[in-house]
Amino acid sequence: MWKNYWLMAVRNLLKRKLYTTINITGLAAGIACFILLALYLENEWTYDKWHTNISELYRLRMDYGEKGEPVTHTALTPSALSAAIKDFPEVKQVVRVYGVNATVKYGEKVMNEDKFVYADAPFFQMFSFPLLSGNAAAVLNGPGMVVLSRRTAEKYFGQEDPVGKTITINGRTSLQVTGVAENPPSNTHLKFDFIASYSTLQYKDRWGSANYYTYVRLNKADMAGSLHSRLSSMAMAQLPEEARNSGLTYDFTPEPVSGLHLDSIAQDQPEESGDKRYNYIFSLVAVMLLIIACVNFMNLATARAAERGREVGVRKTLGAERGQLFWQFIAESALITFIAVVLGMLLAALLLPAFNNLADKQLQFGGIAGYRIYLLLAAAFFITSFLTGTYPALFLSGFRPVQVLKGKVNGPKGDNLRRSLVVFQFAASAFFIICTLAVGRQLHYIQHKKLGQERDHLLVLEGWKEDVNKLQAFKNKLMQQAGIVNVTASPNSPMSIEGGYTLGNIEGKQPTYEMSVTALPVEKDYIKTMGINLMSGEDLTDADIQDVLKADSLKVYHFFLNETAVRLLGWTPETATGKRLQMNGRVGSVKGVMKDFHFASMKSKIKPLVIFPEYDWFNQVIVKTSGNNDREMIAGIEKVWNEYLPQTPFSFRFMDQDFNRLYKTEYRVAAILNTFSIVVMLVSCLGLLGLAALTTQQRTKEIGIRKVMGASVASVVMLLSRDFIKLVVIALILAAPLSWYIISHWLEGFAYHTTLNAGVFLGAAVLAVSVALVTVSLQTVKAALTNPVISLKSE
Amino acid sequence: MIELRKISKHYPVGFGRNEILKDVDLTIQEGEFVSIMGPSGSGKSTLLHIMGLLEEPSGGEYLFQGERVDRMNEKKRTQLHRGAIGFVFQAYHLIDELTVYENIETPLLYKNVSSSERKSRVADVLDRFNMVAKKDLFPSQLSGGQQQLVGIARAIVAEPRVILADEPTGNLHSDQAKVIMELFRTLNEQDKITIVQVTHSDLNATYGNRIIQIRDGHIQG
Ligand SMILES: Nc1ncnc2c1ncn2[C@@H]1O[C@H](COP(=O)(O)OP(=O)(O)OP(=O)(O)O)[C@@H](O)[C@H]1O
Ligand SMILES: [Mg+2]
Repeated sequence: MWKNYWLMAVRNLLKRKLYTTINITGLAAGIACFILLALYLENEWTYDKWHTNISELYRLRMDYGEKGEPVTHTALTPSALSAAIKDFPEVKQVVRVYGVNATVKYGEKVMNEDKFVYADAPFFQMFSFPLLSGNAAAVLNGPGMVVLSRRTAEKYFGQEDPVGKTITINGRTSLQVTGVAENPPSNTHLKFDFIASYSTLQYKDRWGSANYYTYVRLNKADMAGSLHSRLSSMAMAQLPEEARNSGLTYDFTPEPVSGLHLDSIAQDQPEESGDKRYNYIFSLVAVMLLIIACVNFMNLATARAAERGREVGVRKTLGAERGQLFWQFIAESALITFIAVVLGMLLAALLLPAFNNLADKQLQFGGIAGYRIYLLLAAAFFITSFLTGTYPALFLSGFRPVQVLKGKVNGPKGDNLRRSLVVFQFAASAFFIICTLAVGRQLHYIQHKKLGQERDHLLVLEGWKEDVNKLQAFKNKLMQQAGIVNVTASPNSPMSIEGGYTLGNIEGKQPTYEMSVTALPVEKDYIKTMGINLMSGEDLTDADIQDVLKADSLKVYHFFLNETAVRLLGWTPETATGKRLQMNGRVGSVKGVMKDFHFASMKSKIKPLVIFPEYDWFNQVIVKTSGNNDREMIAGIEKVWNEYLPQTPFSFRFMDQDFNRLYKTEYRVAAILNTFSIVVMLVSCLGLLGLAALTTQQRTKEIGIRKVMGASVASVVMLLSRDFIKLVVIALILAAPLSWYIISHWLEGFAYHTTLNAGVFLGAAVLAVSVALVTVSLQTVKAALTNPVISLKSE
Repeated sequence: MIELRKISKHYPVGFGRNEILKDVDLTIQEGEFVSIMGPSGSGKSTLLHIMGLLEEPSGGEYLFQGERVDRMNEKKRTQLHRGAIGFVFQAYHLIDELTVYENIETPLLYKNVSSSERKSRVADVLDRFNMVAKKDLFPSQLSGGQQQLVGIARAIVAEPRVILADEPTGNLHSDQAKVIMELFRTLNEQDKITIVQVTHSDLNATYGNRIIQIRDGHIQG
């Protein structure tokens, strides 16, 4: 019996090529996308959950804010936090992690490394990164030790055994390699290439600056609550009496490491974190794609009921039971699904590199939890065969032979269901199109919004490590080059200023009044180079710089506050200048007030910012050019660089890249959404194509008669297309409110955003209708052009 | 074999109903060869469908081999389709995706006949109908007459007690029709299969040993 079923199935597939192609292509595309998204989501949802002690691992978040101001949550904590909590009864181990950029040298090899971290000794005991050589308890157990990732070890040492060898950091510090760790997997937020012992730094523990991640291993998994209350009281105890009473927020909160990637609300994460909402959307896309492909199948199968119904009737008169017919149809859809799954897998494997590129991941088949993907695939296969098979099977096997033999098959019921399914498909397509357009609009808005500071024609030279005198000479030399307008320096990117500082001893305020600000130490020409507008005060002079180069006790600082900071202090730009204040021990006064500009993602409102000259440490040199960043100029800069910093490899980036990095997630999501919206649309269109083909085929005779009676080609095309277009319009009407709701919600995640307008919906409507029209026309125009005599004769 | 008692059939039409069969009494004995004749729309096909358990009468009693059909469950009816009743259609209704051989084999599959027996039975029938050479062809590769031969072969392969044929030669040339009618006669006389056919042809009707005239849902005379 089953042989007969398979035989029928295979012959049916071969006979109806268009139908088979549409079904298999649609399903295969659906399944391929499903696999890719499943891999992506698996990676997202397993982030850091694979550490053995994961239930006991927490990272401390710092929360601070003025009374009445929004609280800032940051993952960066002061270095002194670790010592303060290590004897808490809840705490088993504490590890600080401090990430830097470093120039690493071994033998002839010198490279800039950005995955370089310092960590306290128990790092490898706390986390489960496997060590290929070295002992977890010992590898970081003293100053001057470093563990390399496998790929880094291979990069620097090739076949040599790196353990025991010495590498040099920034031309100064020597580190001995004590171990090699397996490359961190793609599903961890701590992606290191070098882990050096924290004690190497010989930093004094301080509360004043927050640049360190503090990880805690609890004695018991359920102690996070009591740890939090202990942390809160400790934080409060740190504040002076008045500050405590002023309603200031200052707290440390444990966040589970298992949720850092998706749930943490902290800024300044070591790796750009994921976003649950996007994951939900992608899950929706994955499931939708499968369903839409299944819907095609169901629609086409039932639309062909007239054809298959006759067979059902005949078989029933030959003694077939309904159950037997049911399984026959299931076999057919299982065969199609199976072919589609195999093709889909091949397609997914083929597209994986492109998808990785798109999603910025290193996904692969297999991996830590790889088997799950196959389970999922098997489940998808059974669910798909079942979904696609059952409905047509029930529908078809239910025919009464008499109805069939009398030629009456298509009840209005099947038609309505089919229409609803087409509406559903196109509603889903329209939904994704609207979302894609709206996201694109917001990204366009961000790209074109005036920042208030420059970001074009700016080059960032990475890895400056020399002292001030050398910087001045370097600057002067660069300025001699044609096309270079300005040169300045700062420790980190102007596009995302992050350093947390505190203002105090402010003139005209209570001595105990404090205000948290973001601040950036800069070189003299920073304001000029970055094109920052001053509302009051003057730009820095050489004399101002001399003030901060004096001996510690004599130093005088010159602060530039932004509008927001001035407003929060209750000043105006005019009254602010000259006011005395201190910032983390730096004594000085307000030199000027800057017009607000975006120095962080537009997702949050502009915060109080202080910019001040300080020549302790710069990490990057910023070069403003006249606009032609051509190779020659860059080669010229490189030449000067090599002259001044022969130890450090020349590497640069454009300021634009820094800016775009702020919206990396959004760009990535937009790219994924774009791609899959197109697939959703295409698969829906495939279904529409099939339906249009069947309908026109069934109406060939009618078309012939109409044409004999004098109908024009255009009117016939209209007649045939009208029904489909109506469905697409209904779909759009259904999709609009839902997408409007979701998009408005998403936009609210940006402090600065566009508003939704009718244009987005209109654009989606025009797109959907025209795509549907073209699809349907492929069939209808052909039918309308057919010579009526031929179609009537063949009846 | 077949006993109809006051069988009626009507369809609802608007607010009233359309009576198609009215109090039909008809008995067909085992081994008969009956031809049903009547004008178009008189209810011949409907009557045949009722006999073949494809349609339920609106009223009256139907006994098949002495058993009340309205008391049979779905299973029993399927059983009868598998074993006792064979159908031949005017439009042949072969399954296009199956070869001649496979078409004939299908009823045996549903009857759960063993593979070896299927082979020998299909081979027998093919032999008897002189179609061995055509066994691997698909229906579309056969002439109308040949297709109807396959249709009959398929109807008899499961050795039914009765063959119900609705205008089996309606689409055929008179020469082909003659072949089919001869075949029916042989099946009836040699194999003792009861045959009920609907026909518009007086000539074809003479092959049978009884003619039933139906008009406006009534059996005449
Ligand atoms: N499902 C139905 N609903 C309403 N009326 C029906 C239905 N099926 C058949 N009829 C009517 O029943 C009548 C008898 O139909 P039937 O097919 O039995 O006629 P027939 O004698 O076989 O005619 P022909 O020689 O043209 O095949 C017809 O008038 C037809 O319109
Ligand atoms: Mg009839």
